[in-house]
Amino acid sequence: MPDSLVSPLHNYHTSQNAKFIDFAGWSMPFSYEGTIKEHNYVREDKGFFDVSHMGRLEIQYNDIAILQTLICSDIENLQVGKALYTIFTNNNGCAIDDVIFWKFQDKILLICNAANTLKIKEHLITYSISFNDVTNSTALIAIQGPNAIQIMKGLVDIPDSFSCLQNDQYTYARTGYTGEDGLEIMVSLDYVDELLDYLKSNNISPCGLGSRDTLRLEASLPLYGFELSDEITPVEAGLKWTITNKQPYLGSEVITEQLKNGPNKILKKFEIDTRAIARTGTKVSAGESGGVVTSGNFSPRLQKSIGFVMFENQPSTDLIVFDIRGKLVEGKILKKRFLN
Amino acid sequence: MSEIKYLETHEWYSLTENKITIGISDYAQGELGDIVFVTLPEVGQEFSKGESMVEVEATKTVAEAYAPMDCVIVEINDRLESEPEVINTDPCGDGWMVKAEVVNLDDSGMLYQEYETFIS
Repeated sequence: MPDSLVSPLHNYHTSQNAKFIDFAGWSMPFSYEGTIKEHNYVREDKGFFDVSHMGRLEIQYNDIAILQTLICSDIENLQVGKALYTIFTNNNGCAIDDVIFWKFQDKILLICNAANTLKIKEHLITYSISFNDVTNSTALIAIQGPNAIQIMKGLVDIPDSFSCLQNDQYTYARTGYTGEDGLEIMVSLDYVDELLDYLKSNNISPCGLGSRDTLRLEASLPLYGFELSDEITPVEAGLKWTITNKQPYLGSEVITEQLKNGPNKILKKFEIDTRAIARTGTKVSAGESGGVVTSGNFSPRLQKSIGFVMFENQPSTDLIVFDIRGKLVEGKILKKRFLN
Repeated sequence: MSEIKYLETHEWYSLTENKITIGISDYAQGELGDIVFVTLPEVGQEFSKGESMVEVEATKTVAEAYAPMDCVIVEINDRLESEPEVINTDPCGDGWMVKAEVVNLDDSGMLYQEYETFIS
């Protein structure tokens, strides 16, 4: 195996007997005590994730006008101090990556998927946006759960939802990828132990990427490479709400056309009333429409199988048949979110 | 019951007279992580050695358990349908999967010590 990149918290993970997985060139914790246990920590109480593998690029504030031409959301008119979830689009209006921006007075922090960091850096260079890559000089930790904020009040001032703050030690926002309240904190290597000690002394359990995936799925959140790709537009992925950029941007004519006339393919949520998991790649049919499962797993909260399926066209019925390794299993399309 | 023996595919079996009890090893359940769904065969179903008998769904992945020898299913562990997590908590005890009558005896599984070396 080639040397994988490791997080600044790697020794801590090893000390906690984490099971590691290779993810986008990084060796990251998959689980410590078990995915479902960690899932429940976050849903019912609190937990923290090391997401230091995600790319972190500081962009000069004065490049914001060029940035606006590369994403489907309006970052120029976003208030300073706010966070923004958006999508870098290509000429076809499809996703290069889905990212989070934290907009500060002096800079804009871009957080991208680990698998796309190189791609995003090249993209920024192509459009002459200068950036400072701080991925390797910082750690990124997400503290999530209904009791997360209460605990974190003891360490930092708490911003409003989807807002960001910074002090001498921490750059952070009230954002996350679990459907729960919480903070995502970027910290320089000098202060990472201090933050870790705070989390430990407050009994916040570490959670791995396994539970991060089941949590984001339950929270109806897409994952790049599955629900989004460079062949899927935000409209097709059911992310119309992110399209707030009124100015022309890469592929905007395709997206505008899809908003007007509807997309060809369309992402839907599904549930199956058993625990049979319809995993990525499972073929499905709904009436005349065919599709493929993009992500599927067991929902610990709902105690049933859930997921996303990309249909070739708008299905005429909500009843779906899954071909799970040759066995036909019935499920249905869900119009609302998995969790209310 | 006789001593538990292990296969390279991480099943265990224990042989008593002409009957075997089959499950997956503690190592296997640990690698799979949380088990959420198990598809068991039906009583009376016949399996050849190496054939897939049981499908184990974990949050991480799906895995199969293979027949350690030619056999016919005589009993399945119904409890796993509602409590598949028993395989995680007690893989070689309450987490057993099936009992089967041996058709062709092949008691070539590894003893624990050998299996331990194999997985390390």
